Amino acid sequence: MLVIRPLQENDLDDLYLMTQNAGKGLTTLPADREMLQRKIERARESFNQRCAPEAGLYLFVLEDTVTKKAVGISGVEARVGLEEVFYNYRLSVTVNASRELGVHVRTPTLHLSNDMTDTTEICSLLLSDDYKGGGNGLLLSRCRFMYLDDFRSHFSEKVFAEMRGVSDKEGRSPLWDALGSKFFDMEFIQADMLSGLGNKSFIAELMPKYPIYLPMLPDTARAVISRVHENTRPALKMLQAEGFNFNGMVDIFDGGPVVEAFVNNIRTVRDSVNRHAMVVTKAINLDVPPEQRVMISNRSFRDFRVTTIPMAWIGPDNVRLPREVADVLRVESGDPVRLAPLKDSGVSPIYSLEGPENEEEKILDRVRNYRNRHGQD
Amino acid sequence: MWQVRPANPDDLQQILDIAGSQSARLSSTLPKTEHTLANKIAQSQASLASQSKGNSPRRLLFVLENTDTGQIAGTAGIDARAGNGHPFYNYRRDNLIHASHELNVSRRVEVLYPSHALTDLTLLCAFTLRPELRETPAFELLSRARILFIASHRDWFTSRAVVEIQGIQHDGGHVPFWDSLGRHFFNMDFETADQYSGQLSKTFIAELMPPNPVYVTLLSKDAQAALGEPHPLTKANYDLLQREGFQPGSYVDIFDGGPVLEARTDSLKTLVTSQQKTLHGSETPDGETCLISAGEGAEFRCLLTPVAETLTDEVKVPVSTWHALNRSAGDQVRISPL
Repeated sequence: MLVIRPLQENDLDDLYLMTQNAGKGLTTLPADREMLQRKIERARESFNQRCAPEAGLYLFVLEDTVTKKAVGISGVEARVGLEEVFYNYRLSVTVNASRELGVHVRTPTLHLSNDMTDTTEICSLLLSDDYKGGGNGLLLSRCRFMYLDDFRSHFSEKVFAEMRGVSDKEGRSPLWDALGSKFFDMEFIQADMLSGLGNKSFIAELMPKYPIYLPMLPDTARAVISRVHENTRPALKMLQAEGFNFNGMVDIFDGGPVVEAFVNNIRTVRDSVNRHAMVVTKAINLDVPPEQRVMISNRSFRDFRVTTIPMAWIGPDNVRLPREVADVLRVESGDPVRLAPLKDSGVSPIYSLEGPENEEEKILDRVRNYRNRHGQD
Repeated sequence: MWQVRPANPDDLQQILDIAGSQSARLSSTLPKTEHTLANKIAQSQASLASQSKGNSPRRLLFVLENTDTGQIAGTAGIDARAGNGHPFYNYRRDNLIHASHELNVSRRVEVLYPSHALTDLTLLCAFTLRPELRETPAFELLSRARILFIASHRDWFTSRAVVEIQGIQHDGGHVPFWDSLGRHFFNMDFETADQYSGQLSKTFIAELMPPNPVYVTLLSKDAQAALGEPHPLTKANYDLLQREGFQPGSYVDIFDGGPVLEARTDSLKTLVTSQQKTLHGSETPDGETCLISAGEGAEFRCLLTPVAETLTDEVKVPVSTWHALNRSAGDQVRISPL
């Protein structure tokens, strides 16, 4: 079984291995043991509420309960730009027009901005190659929205994600080469690595502060602004399905887009429902395809756990959980749990339940189902 | 004999001929259409006639005339107030230091700031000369006559003077600085923009010019090389102005990136070395060649003359010079050595 749980002290080795295999492009998680150790400490303090809510960094791992190894990680930064300065370029338009000459020129312009300051960022998603597919990536990413939803006071109303921008096989970024490198004598890979080690705002201080008129950049650089790296396309698609949209901000180094959504509009959040756990002893088939699975969380701030179960187990008030699943989630009968669809295809699985056995329950279920649809769960 | 005098409406056609010839143009500020040029001449005449200091800023246009043939061979202008009541646009070259203590790096970044700082300074402009005269004393006469005019009408002009020098333009009309910067915002080629700037009010510049500073490092290599560089054809003019005391400062033209030269008006060499003398006759046509000027406003004339003898207050020149100046013995003139 695979379960999402908070990052722990003893995950360091697994985490280090994962980041080593990930290669370039994951700036927020460099393969640096000291750095990772600090991240773990920050995450522990956040989950245990030993730091200010704004300083929170919530890192979750995907654990294989058989091997007891962490095989994936994802994170939420409660607020960006409070300690360091958080920079983006805002892609906007400058219009210059002369009525006298009949000229009307639109010039796309990059403005340096700190607009994302004080906003919650979802970040640091990484999944081992062996575990890709089968909805594991979705679980790793979407579990965060369940957390944001349950503990909204800890986060901003709006959340965003920075998507990796375009770079070639050698790790050269066309935008960096045309812009950043002119101000900071360094290769993109090097700058990217430095920013992963926490130096991004230092580098940003060396970057141009005045607006950059895009026509002055070469075509190769302009072409990649607000475009994502090929490998990031699935992640972008997933976030778009959740309701995230490009907000006009791009990364100051590689031009990758920033996508954002309001928490209450995120699909996972809107489609979540509450149930109570009902631990059953009867053995149930756990092995169903991802399309028939739903995410289930234990709604715990300190020990947030999420796994997936067949949607057939969901009843009108309860969700039936075999002992091993209840143990993994650390819930007992009667504990509140929250459910959300795993896949975005088709009708929300929460509502397309297999009907209960007897007629009376069927009627009751229709009534409850109706009420659920209208937000009265 | 060559003389410099204020332009009048009869000169219109001849000036148009010069203005239209690309090789004669050393400055882009002379209008090239009949209508605007006629206006400019009329404005110059009005400026010379008016004795009041206020109202509309004075704009003067002089011509170089062959007094024997009546041929006009060049023009030179002075705008008493650059911008003529409107903003006068330039880019100011400046440096920013982008430094990070933490990363132990520091870098000098060159920036072009849109500027109006030179607005209202006295501007030498509209200098054109037939190419065959470029190597002759007539060239110096035409350029420096303006300074002598300033010397004799000093209170019309400001304490600092500027000159825009034409920038680099490749064969085929390509202006690298324009192609890398202005073209994107004005959506027209250099020639068109240049024409508009001669004809129309300058508000279109304010409307179309990028409002924010521009990083030099983002310009094309060609444009960076052209920044602050004078057009090769302007070399003689550029050198002469430098001898006169003009120095390239931190301003460049917004269209072609050519340098703007600046000077303190009272330190201009011609102004410092020129002296007022009383006119007297000399028998011989020999002597050191000097610039000599006389007359107020529309009566202003400047020419080259052999000076036989210079006493403390008097100067002896041939009588033919008197006639050209429309002056006679005992009148006040101003001379300056060539």
